Amino acid sequence: MGDNAIMREQKLFKVVGTRPVRPDGTPKVTGLAQFGADFALPGMLWGDILRSPHAHARIRSINTAKARALPGVKAVITSADFPEQKFEYVGPERVAVNYWHMTRNVMAREKVLYEGHAVAAVAAVSKAVAAEALRLIEVDYEVLPHVIDVDEAMRPDAPLLFENMITRGIEPAPTKPSNISKRIELKLGDIEAGFAAADEIVELNFKTAPVHQGYIEPHACLARFETGGQGEIWASSQGHFVVRAYTAKLLNMNIGDVLVHPAEIGGGFGGKTVIYVEPVAAALSRKTGHPVKIMMSREDVFKATGPTSGASMTVKIGVKKDGRIVAADGLFKYQAGAFPGSPVMNGVMCGFAPYNIPNVRSVGYDVVCNRPKSAAYRAPGSPISAFAVESVMDAVAARIGMDPLKFRLMNAAKVGTPTTWGPKHAYDSYAYTVQALLDHPAYSAKLGKNQGRGVASGFWFNNGGESSATVHINEDGTVVIATGSMDIGGSRASMAIMAAETLGIDYTSVRSIVADTGSIGYTHVTGGSRVTYATGTAVVEACKKVIGELCARAAMIWDVDKGDVIWEDGCAMPAGKISGKFEPLSLKAIAAKRAVTGGPIGAEASVNAGGFAPGFASELCEVEVDPETGAVKILRFIVAQDVGRAIHPSYVEGQMQGGAVQGIGWALNEEYIYGPDGKLQNAGFLDYRIPVASDLPMIEALMVEVPNPNHPFGAKGVGEVNIVPAMAAVANAINHAIGRRLTELPMSPPKILDALNSPRRG
Amino acid sequence: MAAAPARVVLIGGLGSYYTGGVSEFEIEAKTLHDVIRGLDERCPGLGEYLVEEESTVAIDGEIHQIGYHHPVRPGCEIFFIPSIEGG
Repeated sequence: MGDNAIMREQKLFKVVGTRPVRPDGTPKVTGLAQFGADFALPGMLWGDILRSPHAHARIRSINTAKARALPGVKAVITSADFPEQKFEYVGPERVAVNYWHMTRNVMAREKVLYEGHAVAAVAAVSKAVAAEALRLIEVDYEVLPHVIDVDEAMRPDAPLLFENMITRGIEPAPTKPSNISKRIELKLGDIEAGFAAADEIVELNFKTAPVHQGYIEPHACLARFETGGQGEIWASSQGHFVVRAYTAKLLNMNIGDVLVHPAEIGGGFGGKTVIYVEPVAAALSRKTGHPVKIMMSREDVFKATGPTSGASMTVKIGVKKDGRIVAADGLFKYQAGAFPGSPVMNGVMCGFAPYNIPNVRSVGYDVVCNRPKSAAYRAPGSPISAFAVESVMDAVAARIGMDPLKFRLMNAAKVGTPTTWGPKHAYDSYAYTVQALLDHPAYSAKLGKNQGRGVASGFWFNNGGESSATVHINEDGTVVIATGSMDIGGSRASMAIMAAETLGIDYTSVRSIVADTGSIGYTHVTGGSRVTYATGTAVVEACKKVIGELCARAAMIWDVDKGDVIWEDGCAMPAGKISGKFEPLSLKAIAAKRAVTGGPIGAEASVNAGGFAPGFASELCEVEVDPETGAVKILRFIVAQDVGRAIHPSYVEGQMQGGAVQGIGWALNEEYIYGPDGKLQNAGFLDYRIPVASDLPMIEALMVEVPNPNHPFGAKGVGEVNIVPAMAAVANAINHAIGRRLTELPMSPPKILDALNSPRRG
Repeated sequence: MAAAPARVVLIGGLGSYYTGGVSEFEIEAKTLHDVIRGLDERCPGLGEYLVEEESTVAIDGEIHQIGYHHPVRPGCEIFFIPSIEGG
């Protein structure tokens, strides 16, 4: 277990729960690690992308003649170089992919739908020539009215991004097109009767700003494709199998003809589960016969890659005087960006999930607007709805004079509590996270002038799914494990820990690597807090297979039945009727006799890991508000999260701290600022303010360990739920400090000053 | 006496093209494969749709990606829900 953990079940392990140094640590701090931009090949060309200067415009024509004629330019491509895709939603409804949309996002066709939308691309002998070539491409635009705000985009008279978009999820289907891609409604019980029985009702409106994941490494890739043949890509992503599948699809290639090498990744947080530059570099390489490298600038990242949605919401909660919630109603409108697919369904499902509420309705709208297509961002959708729900929870607790944590505890979902999406909860660890904060001395500590304390909670599903792993025993008895999961948060270390624990060997004997798409079985993205759970399960399964093989080899060495050999503490042991008749054989001793016992020893396992338990977190924030400037200083921040069992506690704590910090940035500073022309005015980290270390106290990570019985060591996903409560925790703390509830993010100094100059309210 | 059938629910309009809007079924099954076959018998095409859509399934509240092998106990609750994807 970790040093800072609250355990609900004790089980002794030798390696699981320790804190060894991560294998990728030294290369990363010494500059040896190779990220997407670090790869180069002989004969390599530089690719660059021409981007739209308009938020919304029809492309009348593109003339590339002058660019193609520039010495040093080897190819110019437009959307005409990509095959058209069928208009259909493929895959699960909540995350359905429409390749008709995807190919248009990678390269605009009929229209540009946001400033920064790719229009054409070049490959040239140098960066400078490529940039000059872009200036020579002539695009004739018919500029159209644009719309960015979600409420404005839903108006009947709003400029339409797609003239034929009919809202899905409404029966009968609307007859007129709109920017509303989809409507979702989930219901439980009788909402009207529930509110009629309430003694108190609180209803508030909220807005959240669109924010970027803020990963430090811009997107970059190198592609080498044969003309009309196979190809390879070196790219940083959260899933090289997804890069392979999407790129192959957009280039009309077989998946097997594309090989993707995983580069190190400088952060993703969901934003690198999709593709932007990879098919463009591949198309340019295919056209020129040369390797082509494309690197985005920070400005490109802000203007052309997926942020998460801005939203407009209304939440209403009704309670009895004793604190029991009897009804809740939520309206959640999320920006999808230029193409359908916001995480609104997640928001709808997660918002009220921590609570036992007999009558609930959640309605969501997915709305297109002239911003980059939204991409996943850490528990996508859930932090947005949680900001609204948890702010109202705070206001309700204040209205009935109840402690906000005890109010949550009274209404906490338990095993058997129904959810709005149908199934009953199978886990009740939420209450433990609330209790952890109630028990913390900080909760009753005295506050100073202009200071306030707030709490909030959150839910996230986590995920499992398809993963693969291989284990190979080296000639000297050391071990290599390979997986298909990109390592973002220290997963190589976690995989090595689980392998060492299973095999009964030292952590230092295990080398943990990430294999390319040609060297390991399919593995889904590093996202959804799934890797330690699903890929970890694959690693353990592969190790178990290897143990079976090692026992068989020992049986051959001893000339006994393999059923009489067991594996204990890293050695094959005689058991049963031959117990004590032979000295144990170590992994090293068996490896030394691999040739005479049948050759190299290894195993592969692939799983579709189910039974992943959801994540719950509760957070406490203390702030001090400067009444003169409106600046908010975070004095204390505690994350209490159900982590299952922490495989490597340091990296679990890192996830908890990172999620909290991103939530604090979302709460206080981060937002896209658009001018009246629809152009982004703060496309850089100087003006788009993410929190830095000097803005923050040490984030206290309180690991609540409630093991998941479906995982070999009890692991649960830990990467995402920590961001969910953060914005509401900050808002509730500010409300406590200044007696004004802020309902729009970010709660930046001008908004705090405005609030201070307005009357106090609940 | 026959074992209690499983209660099977499709949420969020999942598969409504095949079910004609019916969202709840009772099916005798020992595995999820039996459930999917049972749904397909009642609503031809639905079984294949659920598998191809890669829906998520909750069996007595435990969430899984769809897999034929998952055991189904008598009287259990099965919800097919739109799949889950994170960041």
